[in-house]
Amino acid sequence: MLAIENYLIVSAILFAIGTIGVLTKRNAIVIFMCIEMMLNAVNLTFIAFSRHLGNIDGQVFVFFVMTVAAAEAAVGLALMIAFFKNRESIDVEDVNLLKL
Amino acid sequence: MESIFFLVVAAVAVISSILVVTCKNPINSALSLVMTFFCLATFYVMLDAPFMAATQVIVYAGAIMVLIIFVIMLLNVRVETVKRGTHAVIAGSAIGLFILFQTVWFLMKGSMTGKVGDMTKEQIVSVGHVELIGKALFTDFLLPFEVTSVLLLAAIVGAVILAKKKI
Amino acid sequence: MLGAYLPILVLVVIACLFGLGSVVFSSLIGQKKPSQVKLAPYECGCEPVGSARERFSIKFYLIAMLFILFDIEAVFMYPWAVLFKRLGMFGLVEMGLFIVILFVGYVYVWKKGALEWE
Repeated sequence: MLAIENYLIVSAILFAIGTIGVLTKRNAIVIFMCIEMMLNAVNLTFIAFSRHLGNIDGQVFVFFVMTVAAAEAAVGLALMIAFFKNRESIDVEDVNLLKL
Repeated sequence: MESIFFLVVAAVAVISSILVVTCKNPINSALSLVMTFFCLATFYVMLDAPFMAATQVIVYAGAIMVLIIFVIMLLNVRVETVKRGTHAVIAGSAIGLFILFQTVWFLMKGSMTGKVGDMTKEQIVSVGHVELIGKALFTDFLLPFEVTSVLLLAAIVGAVILAKKKI
Repeated sequence: MLGAYLPILVLVVIACLFGLGSVVFSSLIGQKKPSQVKLAPYECGCEPVGSARERFSIKFYLIAMLFILFDIEAVFMYPWAVLFKRLGMFGLVEMGLFIVILFVGYVYVWKKGALEWE
């Protein structure tokens, strides 16, 4: 097995790219995908540490992260659809009114 | 051999994740993201976690990305025309690079310590990875497991209410 | 242990080569006599009606959303199925509770009519 640092550096790079995407994109769906990418980077860290420290708990955590990601995908995309019905746009800059 | 393979997969993962951010068409971003997910599944296999790799492919690449692509087609989002201002791009990239720099700095400066458990490669091979995860999930993580079902129930109800409204 | 995954790697490599190969070779050695009709999108031999980029119905989203949530439920069942004999009655009750809570969601979805394809 390779040293854990390799996996951690890849994970850090993915997380940083995800952060850049969240902060610079305007399309809500692309922002959502970048958030999924950040979650995945964290999952990689979890599994790398779980293997390195010889403890299975980290991988169970990944399980729960995946569950939360799935629930988030279902509800978050439903919110986007509801927003799109009202405003005909999914640009995050248009999310500036509490009530239409 | 293994390190060369790792470098190739890592390069594909990083390049496809950069494509996610830089592509103009959301469909291209989504497909690049699928590629990143597959690369991460490869990493999980290399880390002796084959069941997590399978779950990654089933849940992320198989289910979540399908939902995202459905929504992109449903909303028929056009190519992003209005860009964010340059200062926003510069500030966002600076924050992202700062996070990267910070993490790598900590990695270079410190060393990995911590209480080492009893999961070894031999144990994973002899007992089986799914069994190990199942044992932890159904004994130590019993309550979180049951609460998960409530979370999924809430997600079902919420998504149906939000999506079922008439257009 | 990693050697067991060699067939998957070979499959991935062959799939990539096949995909790349068919695009590259058809552009290299294929004949190119484009005409208006040939470049039109293929729609079962009929005249194409409207754009291909039409908006999809929300019904697809509802089905995909339900799929994703019950997919997660199925993923949780794999470790349970593997450990079924060892967990015994305890595991059965645990999983029963899990499934009953999700079944409530299923009944809700059914009553709401989200499964109807009206």
